[in-house]
Amino acid sequence: MNHALTLKIGPATFRIGSAWRQPVDALARLYADYPMPAGAIADFTVRLEPAGPFRRWFRPSIFITGDHGLADAAPMSLAHGLLAAEMGMNLQMALGWRRHLLLHASSVEKDGRALVMTGESGSGKSTLAAQLGERGWRLMGDEFALLDLETGAIFPFPRLVSLKNRAIGVLAAEAPAERMGPLLAGTAKGDIRHLIPRREAIGRMAEGAPPALLLFPRFGHEADVRPVGQGEVFMRLTQASTNYVALGEAGFAALSDFVRNVPARAIDFPSGDEAIALVERLWEELA
Amino acid sequence: MPARYCQDSPDAIASCVLEDMVLLYHRPSGQTHMAIAPVPEILATLDDGAALTAGELLGQLAQLYDLGEPEEALPLVEAHLAELAALGLVRIA
Repeated sequence: MNHALTLKIGPATFRIGSAWRQPVDALARLYADYPMPAGAIADFTVRLEPAGPFRRWFRPSIFITGDHGLADAAPMSLAHGLLAAEMGMNLQMALGWRRHLLLHASSVEKDGRALVMTGESGSGKSTLAAQLGERGWRLMGDEFALLDLETGAIFPFPRLVSLKNRAIGVLAAEAPAERMGPLLAGTAKGDIRHLIPRREAIGRMAEGAPPALLLFPRFGHEADVRPVGQGEVFMRLTQASTNYVALGEAGFAALSDFVRNVPARAIDFPSGDEAIALVERLWEELA
Repeated sequence: MPARYCQDSPDAIASCVLEDMVLLYHRPSGQTHMAIAPVPEILATLDDGAALTAGELLGQLAQLYDLGEPEEALPLVEAHLAELAALGLVRIA
């Protein structure tokens, strides 16, 4: 690879190689506060390669690959190279990480305990975590929460927060401009802009916290709070985990302990401000 | 001769009781099953290497639970045993 960067996010070290300079430069700028242990042994390799022999120069088009690849992944335009690198890192984690039970969830920490939020794409879990991260909570991650198999603690994976469409304006109003990445317009998921987590969240990215509350947020509905039975919580978390089956009995033991010990609620909310008030109230009552 | 059923192996299943169900992790297959009554009770009765017919199993369960008339309960126990055998959680001894 002509251009490369080694980057540590939470416990995982990535080596990102690219045929083009732009995506690596964009990553180096946005991940400037993260450890970049040059020469370190990487857990994962991400490669951004031309989609065809001439596509490095002619209508440059990126194919994401690495230790783990998806055969039918669609090539992306070079203008979205930063997104391609981010997707590449997520893909390696989702398919290859085995040291924790990996939950597709956002998480934030306060007073030494973690709040975990999981839901479908568009549920608001990522935006909510990013907003809480600007309002006194420590952002642990907007995409993956890492459940420790031995201790049951949640460990951070605080990559850049991927803000989509309406969430961009919401966070641009709260976070300083120097922590916002470039606007990537017209991607397959609409407009995307990355948010760099606060420096404290990055500095403490090796620090886990015991989980104290699990929420299933749902944006765009009248405010409501519902209890969720442990059986349903277990089923939804196995669906939200990319490596539950691969981890075998260790994953079963960690997840069943989590489900028995962490109170869970489904929350609906019509706006971010109402969601934050609801989260703060539930945290006081249940955590 | 009616079939005798036993657990897959003495240490095959790790279970975890939740509020509304019991989780069963089957070690040989790596599969997780979510079970409600009477499945956990049937498996518990087959604990410690027991190999029982459906009728014997029903007799033991009836000492602990109100299962109604035996002629109605027996086909249900047989159906559960056939289902558990298909999943690999019990086998014919």
